[in-house]
Amino acid sequence: MLKLVDIFDYLAVVLSAGTLVGESLLLGGLVFRYWIARSSAEISADDLRGVQNFTMRWFGFSAIGLVVVQVLYLYVNTAVLMASAAIPFKEATGATFFIAGGIMLVAAMGCAIVSRIHGRYTAWLLPFFVLIVFGASVMTDHAASRISGRVPLIILTALHVSATGFWIGGLPFLLVALYVNRERATQWYLTRRFSQLALISVIVLVGSGVCMSVAYVGSLDALVGTSYGLMLLAKVTMLLAMLALGGINFLMLRRQGPDQVIPRLRRLVEVEVGIGITIILSAASMTAQPPAVDLPNDTVLPSHIWARYHPVWPLLTSPPAAALSTRHPGQVVSAEDPTRRIISYTSEGSPISVRVLNDMRWSEYNHHWMGLIVLAMGIFALLARTGRAPWAEYWPLLMIGIGIFIFLRGDPECWPLGPKSFWSTFADPEIFQHRAAALLCIAFAIFELRVRRNPSREGFLPLIFPLLCAVGAALLLTHSHDTSNVREETMAELSHTPMAVVGVMAGWSRWLELRLPSSKDRAYAAWIWPVCFVLIGAGLLNYREF
Amino acid sequence: MRRALQGPALYLLFLIALTGITTPLWAHAVLMQSKPASNASVTGPNVPIWLRFNVRVDGKRSRLTLVSSDGKSVDLPAPKQTAPDILETQATGVKPGAYKLQWRALASDGHMSNGEVDFTVK
Repeated sequence: MLKLVDIFDYLAVVLSAGTLVGESLLLGGLVFRYWIARSSAEISADDLRGVQNFTMRWFGFSAIGLVVVQVLYLYVNTAVLMASAAIPFKEATGATFFIAGGIMLVAAMGCAIVSRIHGRYTAWLLPFFVLIVFGASVMTDHAASRISGRVPLIILTALHVSATGFWIGGLPFLLVALYVNRERATQWYLTRRFSQLALISVIVLVGSGVCMSVAYVGSLDALVGTSYGLMLLAKVTMLLAMLALGGINFLMLRRQGPDQVIPRLRRLVEVEVGIGITIILSAASMTAQPPAVDLPNDTVLPSHIWARYHPVWPLLTSPPAAALSTRHPGQVVSAEDPTRRIISYTSEGSPISVRVLNDMRWSEYNHHWMGLIVLAMGIFALLARTGRAPWAEYWPLLMIGIGIFIFLRGDPECWPLGPKSFWSTFADPEIFQHRAAALLCIAFAIFELRVRRNPSREGFLPLIFPLLCAVGAALLLTHSHDTSNVREETMAELSHTPMAVVGVMAGWSRWLELRLPSSKDRAYAAWIWPVCFVLIGAGLLNYREF
Repeated sequence: MRRALQGPALYLLFLIALTGITTPLWAHAVLMQSKPASNASVTGPNVPIWLRFNVRVDGKRSRLTLVSSDGKSVDLPAPKQTAPDILETQATGVKPGAYKLQWRALASDGHMSNGEVDFTVK
């Protein structure tokens, strides 16, 4: 039963991330249809009709998606509540999350239905329903549950969420519009209008974000010394990357003509959508954590960070699998057993016994060897980029090594090293994650090798690498560490979060290398991702557990 | 049209893959202060319990349990809320010894967080 609760708990977070994405798409779609794609003296309604219809269709799909997510969310969260706290169903339906979720569900259904009806009240009903979705979402945010400064925080959250929706939620609709309508004049009109909206949204987004950061983080120490602060830094870094792309769009629109701008802009918007969705997902992770300001006793100090992460020589020898504490699940080891003797403490005060020390060394060895492989991948990719080492093009082969390494050593209590069967992979979310990552690595190697052998930029195949890389980075970004010590968890995230952000950049820079129309532009992007690989390798080599 | 939809379809795949791997980082209601405090020594047999959280909690759907050193657990009376972030109740007839107060608090986003406070009754 506990396992079922764990899995449902996990699903509840996945679904809350889906809710945030759905909500942003509804806000973005609404504004795109009624503000960006509205007719004016500059462009007629006939020219825009196709875009308007397509926007409504995708708005409808987003609403249906949100309905499905909400039904599942209400079911899963209610089941978790009933199972973990023995709360009867009737009582669970009175909880804030159930009421807010129910309201959102009905409003999303309203959006889905009204978007299919082209009546005269459509333009009034849709904003009404979207506003209800938006209100229900804010009802369950951090701001609504605060004790002090509740009203200003709710207002700031509302501004932040709406600006996110208008900009990041509107980008997919701009992208679809640029695919659907091939008329340069219409594309130019939509893009320029969206650029103005994006500029205002960014100002509101950053302004409200800074104010909320002060309220929720409170100090510089908490910014680098808590999980919440680190996730915020990751979000800000990804936002800066988006702003850089947005800045390029902004300058292009004002300095060049439609024929030069639109083909390049379309590719840049693709990447903005990808990074934007990753930002929304990291925001969902943040809403599932206590704000940093609430953890004054669980903030990691800068001196402790240095003590843990100052550069040292990597560990390249491993303890045997039989010496690990996870080797015999359920085995009772007496308190007097020599392997339970406490021999040291981590910088955050967690006791280290002989067994735990072996676990830590096992994990460090894994990370360090993977660091060496990723570093080699980056260096080989850079060598291949110079054009003087054609053999280095086969660097994806190294990924197969990583996949096998994760499969064998990621979960030593599982088959083939440990007593747990292969099928336990599907019962434990953490083991499942590791094994899915191993499969991803091998899939990536196969696809990317095929791409290297046939370096055409056309078709679906070359895009597998950037997509898998971006997904893998998001996996790392939201990877939780099962520890009862909050500070230890922060310590682990201090090494993983920067690597994840660099991974996001690696994936999307490779995407740009493949998709940008000009070879000069592609050449810039082609240098970024190998450098990102080198940085990730260096980060893994410096991973430490105590 | 088929080609035009290739890009959006890829994004859909990306989105599904991303949401499928998001990992829980649960911890919403955090206990900021408690009476009895952690590892405190109090006088019985009636022990007032007072817990303050970092956020508003749903008192009606929160649970408090007292566990004695021999493992026996007693559900405490439904907590009252004198403020939105406070849970308050009283344990009666508590014999001297070591106890664990187990709390489960429901935050507004629907997540039930939990924790323990160790204390001794004189």
